[in-house]
Amino acid sequence: MTPFVLTRDLCKTYQKGTVPIPVLQGVSLEVAKGEYVSVVGRSGSGKSTLLNLLGGLDTATSGRIVVGDSDVTSMSRQDLAVHRRSTVGMIFQSFNLIPSRTALENITLALAFGGYPRSDRRRRASELLSSVGLEHRLSHTPGELSGGEAQRVAIARALANAPDVLLADEPTGNLDSKTAEEIVGLLVALNSERGLTVVMVSHDEATAREVSHRVFRLLDGRVIDELSGRADG
Amino acid sequence: MTPPDLWRLSLENLWRTKLRSVLTTLGVVIGIGALVSMVSFGVGMQENVTSEFRENDLFTSMQVLPAKIDVGEIMAGGFEPPQTVKALNDSAVEAIRAIPAVELAFPEIRFPVTVRMMGKEARTSLQAVPAAMGRYKPFSEIPYGSFYASELVPISVDSLIGREVEIVSSTLDLQSAARAFMRSFTAPSRLPLREEVVRLRVVGVRGRLSGFGAARFRGGVIVPIETGAAMPRLGFSDVWDLLDSSEGTQGYGSVYVRTRGMDDITPVREAVEEMGFGVLAVIDELEEIKQTFLIMDALLGAVGTIALIVAALGIINTMVTSILERTREIGVMKAVGGSETDIRWIFFLEAATIGFIGGAFGLALGWAVTRIANVVANHYLRPQGVPEVDLFYMPVWLIAGALVFSVGVSLLAGFYPASRAARVDPVQALRHD
Ligand SMILES: Nc1ncnc2c1ncn2[C@@H]1O[C@H](COP(=O)(O)OP(=O)(O)OP(=O)(O)O)[C@@H](O)[C@H]1O
Ligand SMILES: [Mg+2]
Repeated sequence: MTPFVLTRDLCKTYQKGTVPIPVLQGVSLEVAKGEYVSVVGRSGSGKSTLLNLLGGLDTATSGRIVVGDSDVTSMSRQDLAVHRRSTVGMIFQSFNLIPSRTALENITLALAFGGYPRSDRRRRASELLSSVGLEHRLSHTPGELSGGEAQRVAIARALANAPDVLLADEPTGNLDSKTAEEIVGLLVALNSERGLTVVMVSHDEATAREVSHRVFRLLDGRVIDELSGRADG
Repeated sequence: MTPPDLWRLSLENLWRTKLRSVLTTLGVVIGIGALVSMVSFGVGMQENVTSEFRENDLFTSMQVLPAKIDVGEIMAGGFEPPQTVKALNDSAVEAIRAIPAVELAFPEIRFPVTVRMMGKEARTSLQAVPAAMGRYKPFSEIPYGSFYASELVPISVDSLIGREVEIVSSTLDLQSAARAFMRSFTAPSRLPLREEVVRLRVVGVRGRLSGFGAARFRGGVIVPIETGAAMPRLGFSDVWDLLDSSEGTQGYGSVYVRTRGMDDITPVREAVEEMGFGVLAVIDELEEIKQTFLIMDALLGAVGTIALIVAALGIINTMVTSILERTREIGVMKAVGGSETDIRWIFFLEAATIGFIGGAFGLALGWAVTRIANVVANHYLRPQGVPEVDLFYMPVWLIAGALVFSVGVSLLAGFYPASRAARVDPVQALRHD
């Protein structure tokens, strides 16, 4: 297996005043292109921190991260912005849509940052919303959307600039079980139909094992276990 | 993100918080309005004075004195009349006239007289001015009759024009004083003055004098030089004559010199000083006046600038508030690929937009204020005989400068909020609540 996403001895230590708080303490893992992996673990084990490092929202204290053929850990802040806009797409438990903008405008904003020509943005945004089943909610603001719909908008936005990797931090954490199932189903479909690499953080180990090729279990900032998932991995 | 996208985004942000944006911009409008009207007033004053000077040809005239005199020294009391003073007599006037670029030079003769006419009399001063001055202000604008065209007084006819007036001047009557003394051996109780009467004809009546330039020619009766010089009078008429009364000198108190152009002042003054005379030129005073205006402009500008600083604090306040409110949004923009530079520009452009719109409306406000103030001021000044005058002046540099200043100050105000926005930690910003 040639890894597409790779971490080596990844460490992240936060500084609370003079007290160092080690959150990640040497995480090494590899994810192949087109693979669907999940990260599970207790609250506070460092799952979100790991995902934020992969997504270039935060910088590691030590260790390496490679995505595709770029070394994320050696990137300048400007390069990290390019990494966030073109290589990865992120979705969050709390959706993180801009409340004052409509579904369509939330996506055109991402397209603008991605350097899409203005004339193309609306068309592409509505295509993206159709692809997640929201062609009838283009002009709704996040406040006028259900949780499931909002997360679909967030997924469409994450896909806007055609990323290689989708990073999902507890995408179903705020949803009821039926909606959660739909959202995970959408992610699985994106993975299997488009070959999108997915790294998902979840607190539901059973579902994670059901939908992922592999599952990493994190405890106190270390991968303590690697579980096998669905058969086709 | 492309510049138009950044621009559009900041406009959208401003539009979203309309009320707050409008209020913040209003602060800038008032600041720039105050600044512009204040400076416009200062510039207007300067412009009015300078043009007054120019219109009255004060930039081309100077006064020649018998000796190099430092006015400041006289004021300070340290002035001692020089031992040998070169006489400012007719041959000196001729010599000055011979200097190239001197257009006109004549002795300044002025003394108090009483005018009697049609059974009335009035005390005033008489001033001798050559016919050649008829070409220049204020003599070029004689509303009734005309200025005398030659040294020989012509006679024209009108109700007043052409009438005879008696000009009464005084001389010391030493003979009668001596006779009186011989008779009674007491000193006379009042100066032994004798009336000397000269009859002249009126050729013209001038209008009311106003402005700085007129002061030099404020004499109540203007007569040709020859006439004035020939009139009997006391040996002195002003301070210069007294200063000049040291032994061995005889001549005029001062000589008025006109040069062809403004640039001729310096060479002519040097030539005159070379001859051993002193020179007072209005152009020197202009430098002082300019200095005064500079201070006034600075003070007026400072008041306006304070208003603008308050507006700038308003911008900072508004933007910091909006950054606090929009922390999550900034995090989202970073998560979808916005760089620190993008974020900084978005907020920078918000500040610039506030500055530009505020500057433009501030200019309009400032202009409106100056127009209204001008009408009001003229309304109150007119009954006092002040001619209609534009008190404010708004040159192009003031308009452009106000806009640049407004945008500049706003950018400065936006600097801290913008870099604060750029430094927002997306991980903190996106953490679920
Ligand atoms: N900026 C920070 N300063 C100090 N400590 C931090 C900071 N960010 C995170 N931590 C700590 O790091 C640890 C891991 O946080 P992280 O959010 O990665 O956990 P998590 O596994 O995602 O938990 P959850 O399942 O609750 O989301 C936590 O103990 C948290 O308190
Ligand atoms: Mg988490």
